[in-house]
Amino acid sequence: MSGYVEHIRNEAFAAKLALTYSEFFDGISPVKQRVSLRISDNALEIKNVETMQVTRWPLKSIREVPDLSDKAAVIFAGDNEDPARLVIREAEALQTLVESGAPLHRLRGPRGQLRRLGVMGVIAAACFGGLLFGLVPWFANAAAERIPAEAEIAMGQELFNQIYVGTGSSVCTAPDGVAALETMQARLTSGADLPLPLTLRVVRNGTVNATALPGGQVTIHSALIEAAESPDEVAAVLAHEIGHVAHRDGTRGQLRAMGSYGLIGLLFGDVFGFSAAAGVTGAVLDASYTRDAEARADAFAHEMLETADVSPAALGTFFERLAAAEGDMDLGLLRHLSTHPETLERIEAARHAGEVSAATGTILSDGEWASLRTICSIDGSGGALDGEIPPDGGKL
Amino acid sequence: MAILRTAFSGDRGDLFLLALKTSALTLVTFGLYRFWAKTRLRRWYWSSVRPGGTPLEYTGTPWEKLTGFLFAIVLLAIVLTLANLVGILTVIDLMETMPEAYMGALVSLPAVIFPLWFFARYRARRYILSRTRWRGIRFGMEPAAWGYAWRACMYWVLNICTLGLTWPLLTFQLEKYLTDRTWFGNARFTQHGSFLRLYGPLLPFLFCVWGGIALWGYFIYANGGGEAAFNAFQLNEVWALIGGLVTIPLAALFGIYYRVASIRVMADLKTLGDGIEFDLYPRTRKILKIYFFGWWKTYIAAGFVSNVVFGAVLGVLWLTGNFTPDMAVNPPINVAIAIGVLTYLMLMLMAQTFRQTFITYPLVEHIAQSAEIHQPAFLGSIRQRDEDSRGDAGGFADALDAGAAF
Repeated sequence: MSGYVEHIRNEAFAAKLALTYSEFFDGISPVKQRVSLRISDNALEIKNVETMQVTRWPLKSIREVPDLSDKAAVIFAGDNEDPARLVIREAEALQTLVESGAPLHRLRGPRGQLRRLGVMGVIAAACFGGLLFGLVPWFANAAAERIPAEAEIAMGQELFNQIYVGTGSSVCTAPDGVAALETMQARLTSGADLPLPLTLRVVRNGTVNATALPGGQVTIHSALIEAAESPDEVAAVLAHEIGHVAHRDGTRGQLRAMGSYGLIGLLFGDVFGFSAAAGVTGAVLDASYTRDAEARADAFAHEMLETADVSPAALGTFFERLAAAEGDMDLGLLRHLSTHPETLERIEAARHAGEVSAATGTILSDGEWASLRTICSIDGSGGALDGEIPPDGGKL
Repeated sequence: MAILRTAFSGDRGDLFLLALKTSALTLVTFGLYRFWAKTRLRRWYWSSVRPGGTPLEYTGTPWEKLTGFLFAIVLLAIVLTLANLVGILTVIDLMETMPEAYMGALVSLPAVIFPLWFFARYRARRYILSRTRWRGIRFGMEPAAWGYAWRACMYWVLNICTLGLTWPLLTFQLEKYLTDRTWFGNARFTQHGSFLRLYGPLLPFLFCVWGGIALWGYFIYANGGGEAAFNAFQLNEVWALIGGLVTIPLAALFGIYYRVASIRVMADLKTLGDGIEFDLYPRTRKILKIYFFGWWKTYIAAGFVSNVVFGAVLGVLWLTGNFTPDMAVNPPINVAIAIGVLTYLMLMLMAQTFRQTFITYPLVEHIAQSAEIHQPAFLGSIRQRDEDSRGDAGGFADALDAGAAF
């Protein structure tokens, strides 16, 4: 419709605008210019009232500078790239410019920004993927194979102090219980070829869990012994942890954690203290690392239990009971395991190993099992576990 | 007209709404919107500072910030991982010989980041200046971030070793390094003067710190020296009170006074191009007042609004029958966690918003209104400069949390 009507409209607008003066900065010099404005041929004509020099801005490319705090002045640019600026302070001039048909989009940055972002996004994803799933695990595995035993043991002891002693979980030392534990360990490991000597301990801790730290440090929580209904179930968990020792998974895990220290935190910035989000991401990532390691340790445990004449089904039985009892108990690490599909697979694998197994024995006699259950009583002369668990973990 | 004064315009209510909107979006996008939030707030603040009546303009974009952030974290991730791997080898080595050094080594791994922090600050300043315009002319800064980073590290080590005696040297040399590399169009800023000019405002601080040390030394000497005297000093309550409750806060206060005064002194000694001069009159008392009352107002307002919103949510739940008084006495664990998390997020959101309105706003207002440009006639000879390359667009500062109030 660039016909007669448009012509008249522009003429009328030009008549109004020609009366108004504005400030103009040409983008070359910081000197303020007084200009008059008029419209012709779908363009805004900006004329310096002293030098009579004219700048033409096509109406459709004029941009408004956004997020201005001062509503008394509106600032325009000729297009997205042009550094020149026009400052309009008079409401009437502004009104007519708005009505002139110029689209007056907001000023945006230069072209190609989205493409650059896309390329950078791909590079960043590849880089983080390569570091977290390639370089760091590879390095941790290689270092775990070469680390001297003394260094590994010292590292594990340091971690044990930090995780248990530092948080008030003391080691249980009732003599009969310790003897029963040693019997269990001896029966399980007889003939086994382990890269490191085991350091087996029970600690007072209210979460149903067991850990294998670097350097052969295997720790069973008192609540796990309490939750088990037979010594074979404890033996099954212990065999699983010994599997981690055999494969040096604790060392690998610790070296991997050190290698990826701070990487996840980088992704989240720190505006609202999103370190919690970083923590969750880290945990998910860790679970993805450990899935294979868990399956390997389970397979190791099945074999070890079979050799000790204990049915590998005990591992599955224990997991099943935990899954069933969830809600009444503070399950710690096993809580999330029990809700994961992998746990169902692990129970299934244990059941299958039990079906083909010829084992018929149990790992401890009834008397030894009773002793093991009192390992955390203070003098070792009886008394149930229940009263001995420290108040922070006394949910069982 | 020989002086261009600076006006500050902008309505606190507008800023409140803008900060609330952008902070809320940042929260629900897990921080991703912060690049947009930062851009919009900067645009708003820049446009409210008006030297000679013409507002500054901020032309940075959120897209380039996000791109720059990704670029920065990729480089940082590589550097950090390599440092971590070297750290692992060191730790393994230490484990064999001195296991007790293990935790120390673990904690010192992130120290690699420290020089990078200064690097990031320089880059961020360079980015912000390259995206700032006044009267259509771009500001700019030369690429010299590494030079800045190592100088900053050296001066800081020296300053800590001399217990503040060389603080003026640090302040002046670093400010000069920054100023002499800053441009407006094709005109360069210059920092004149010498660090000796800054000892005046530092005297109260030095007196306080060194006086405290002298008293300490005298006490140990008077008690016959040695470890026994040292322990007696620590056990003596009156001395501990004087040391802890008087010297330290006083030193902090004088330290702030020095920082504000040094900005004032150095602004007077800056020139631009052919002889444009500046004046900046921030007042220590005013700035302390803004910070002190600003924090109070921020947290009282944030706490109040959070409680009102929290109460409203409970009210709605109660009216719809989803909440019983019994749940208030003994809340189920997941409800308690949800309430805890929501309260925390609400408090963060409100604190972020009110911080802008009660601290950043009055601070920018005070400093802007105290700024003057002398000899503006020399502006006529200044011409435009080319646009700076994109670089990391402040991404390093964002990733390392080295940004300032904006």
